[in-house]
Amino acid sequence: MIKSLLRQGEMAVLLAVALVILPLLLFLPPWLPMLVLSMLALRGALLHRQAVLPSLYLLLPLLLLAVGGLWLSLNTLVGREGGAALLILLLGFKSFESRQQRDWQVLLALGFFLAAMPLLFDQSPLAAVWLAISLLVLTWAMLILSGEMVEGSLRSAMQALALSLPLMLVLFVVMPRLPGPLWSMPHDQHVAGTGLSDSMEPGSISQLVQQQEPAFSVVFAGQAPAVSEMYWRIMIFDDFDGRRWQNVRGLSSETVQWQGGRLVSYSLTGKPSKSRLPLLEYTVTAPAGGVLEPGNLFKLARDGDELFRFQAQSLLAAHYRTVLSRADQDFYRHLPPGNPASRQLALQWRAQGGDGAGFVRAALQYFRLGGFSYTLQPPLLNSEDGIDQFMFSSRQGFCEHYASALAFMARAAGMPARIVTGYQGGQFNPVGQFWQVKSSDAHAWVEIWLAETGEWLRVDPTAAVAPDRVTQGVSQSIPAMQSQLPGLGRSMPSWLLRVQQNWQAAGFAWQQWVVGYDAGKQLNLYRWLGLGEQVDSGAVLRAVLIGGGLACLPLLLLWRRQCAQSPLQQGRDRLVQVLAAMGIMVVDSDGPLDILNKVRRLPEPDYRQLKALLKEYAAMRYRQPVPQQQARQWLRRVKAFRPGRQ
Amino acid sequence: MQSLSLAYRQLNTLILGKPRAIRLALACLIARGHLLIEDLPGVGKTTLAHGLAAVLGLHYQRVQFTSDLLPADILGVNIYQRETGSFRFHQGPVFSQLLLADEINRASPKVQSALLEAMEERQVSIDGESHPLPTPFFVIATQNPSEQLGTFPLPESQLDRFLMRISLGYPPPEAERALLLGQDRRTLLADISAGLTAADLLLLQNKAAALTVTPDLADYVLALLQATRQERSYLTGLSPRAGLALLAAARAWALLEGRDHVLPEDVKAVFPHVAGHRLGLSGDALGSLKKLLDHVAIP
Repeated sequence: MIKSLLRQGEMAVLLAVALVILPLLLFLPPWLPMLVLSMLALRGALLHRQAVLPSLYLLLPLLLLAVGGLWLSLNTLVGREGGAALLILLLGFKSFESRQQRDWQVLLALGFFLAAMPLLFDQSPLAAVWLAISLLVLTWAMLILSGEMVEGSLRSAMQALALSLPLMLVLFVVMPRLPGPLWSMPHDQHVAGTGLSDSMEPGSISQLVQQQEPAFSVVFAGQAPAVSEMYWRIMIFDDFDGRRWQNVRGLSSETVQWQGGRLVSYSLTGKPSKSRLPLLEYTVTAPAGGVLEPGNLFKLARDGDELFRFQAQSLLAAHYRTVLSRADQDFYRHLPPGNPASRQLALQWRAQGGDGAGFVRAALQYFRLGGFSYTLQPPLLNSEDGIDQFMFSSRQGFCEHYASALAFMARAAGMPARIVTGYQGGQFNPVGQFWQVKSSDAHAWVEIWLAETGEWLRVDPTAAVAPDRVTQGVSQSIPAMQSQLPGLGRSMPSWLLRVQQNWQAAGFAWQQWVVGYDAGKQLNLYRWLGLGEQVDSGAVLRAVLIGGGLACLPLLLLWRRQCAQSPLQQGRDRLVQVLAAMGIMVVDSDGPLDILNKVRRLPEPDYRQLKALLKEYAAMRYRQPVPQQQARQWLRRVKAFRPGRQ
Repeated sequence: MQSLSLAYRQLNTLILGKPRAIRLALACLIARGHLLIEDLPGVGKTTLAHGLAAVLGLHYQRVQFTSDLLPADILGVNIYQRETGSFRFHQGPVFSQLLLADEINRASPKVQSALLEAMEERQVSIDGESHPLPTPFFVIATQNPSEQLGTFPLPESQLDRFLMRISLGYPPPEAERALLLGQDRRTLLADISAGLTAADLLLLQNKAAALTVTPDLADYVLALLQATRQERSYLTGLSPRAGLALLAAARAWALLEGRDHVLPEDVKAVFPHVAGHRLGLSGDALGSLKKLLDHVAIP
């Protein structure tokens, strides 16, 4: 029974560890977790058959082989992925080395450590749920390994976890926060972050449009602006080579003069892509944690792709005035040769409109009335003169096509122009009271510099073609697409929409209050608790720990009194310890005579002393119960017993 | 006490290499219990029963149980006396101090239950008349576990009447060698002189029943009982009556060990033999009880 109990415990450990590794399948090259899982399964089979474990001479080359394979597939053994991969590999091999109870305990401790590993890759509520399950199963395995009966063990494990929950919460609240999350690791090269791409060739954003995943979420302080006013800036493209727009020259500096506008405050939570996060236009001062780049773009101070949250203030509909030197103007006017028809049309618009504003009016008029349509599946523009082809023959496209065409026309007309990419619009989530912006809200628009006022004027040609795109979002503007695009635009049943909104709200709250619980939030909490402005987190932690300890003291005393052992029991335990040190294992089911039998081989003086002590013990417990006083005297004699001494 | 150890030594010269079985048998008798020996033919069951009767100075009878045996063949019968014109009770073999019921599972359930009732009541009722059995009164029953054809296995409720179940098994090689070279067992039996009288035995029984049992020891017995009730592989756990039987057997064992109090080791020594048949375990399955003993901590 003992043997089979132990085997149960070992099986439980294997099971728990396998469960812990499972989510890493999503984040590591799948062959690796698969390998480790099958190793654990093999170990379980060996355990079941009580078979002999492979020798060290076999394991060592295998380990080297596996680590070699790891190196080949990841090119590293450190960092987030390399480290995690190496650790689970070592865990798999450790299981083949586990023979004694102690080894299994080590394995279990490793499991507890590894349980936190998926958090390095994903900090969503689901990851937290998985972590909770992992901890439960690990605790359960610990109970089984320590000899607990299987029935009722799950309950005990839950109780143990529930008891530790308050401490966990308190520590979560008061633990001093590091400037960044613990898991801020060097960025892994082969993981491509999602988001807008570096360059723009009409077609590249259409792939983004079809993704419904959330890009970032926003909470406005007070009244939210109209959807058509929500232009989230991320990148600027300032160079065109005939097919492709890209950013070649970040302006080193710009002097901006803001005029007019309506102040809006908001807080935004999102995953940076290439350390960029969106800003509502136009933002006057840089939010904490990053810098404001020329072009009114936000760049984070440090690298990383973990969630970031910041507060910002924007001047909606402000005038964005800046001075462009002649060289800058030339740079923003540069065009490669080609597209003669469009150039001609541009000059025509310029002549018609007179000034810059007139040009813009003429251009928008052309887009509105020229038979253009908005579609996510435009024909390919494969001619040498792509802009000509779009302007005069195909006339179908989405934001990129229109932005690209308008920027080209402006430049052709001799006006500095650039393309801004980012997101436009967003959906309000009534459950969580926040705005969710999805990947499908990605957008591109044009800024034209008006020489008369020195102002960068935002012009959105897509709005002229498909006004719904900027007032109601992508899905509303392309009714013809609905049947072809699964998940996009198709009107959802209302209950599903509610479920989706609730899920998003839960995710948002999680990001806000758990993942985003930073030093600032902590300070706010302290302030709210009346602890003042300057709070030393470490001091609070110490106070909580010491105070909690003191508060538990009476409980401890009570507990001690309740389970105060009789002197006889204490003495027996003491003897067991002394004998264990001499290599004699006494178990709980051994009576005094059994113990005496086990010590028969000891040197005569020790044996004689032990015999006397045990005889007294047997008499006091099983012959004539004695007063405590006498039992304590016996206990003193037990404590005085030293093997090898008369 | 001296006469008791003399009896023990005599039995050991008679049954070679089985000191523990002999000690258990003695403890069973001292605890006023009946003994069930489950074993193959020819390993010395009858000799042991005979020997016990001889050293304890008891009147001994043996009945070979067969399927056509009738209750009257054991209990006795009222026979009409022509001379006096009345019925006179002729005692059956059960009216002895030590009855060896050989192959008890071969008899019909009717006979079995008649005997087991007599064992429990220690009297026989025939035609409304009670006839008390002699004191002390022991039954040593044997059965062959491997031959089941044409037998009536004893139900568990009736197995409960036996305090202990032991098996002798083959003797160790040394002992068997001595057995082959030594004298005929029958001759040896004839030489045994009774070291004890029936009165001595009664005294010993009373002495055993008076041995000290402390609350700590009762707790241990309780823990064992609980463990049998929690263990899933047993159909039922041990009953409170089984607990009392366990304690009685442990007391007798302690007396044989020459102690005036009972230690957990005494309980452990008799536990597999007291609990095995009550839990419906076959004689080979006692290993699980030994493991249970290893698992239950002494409080």
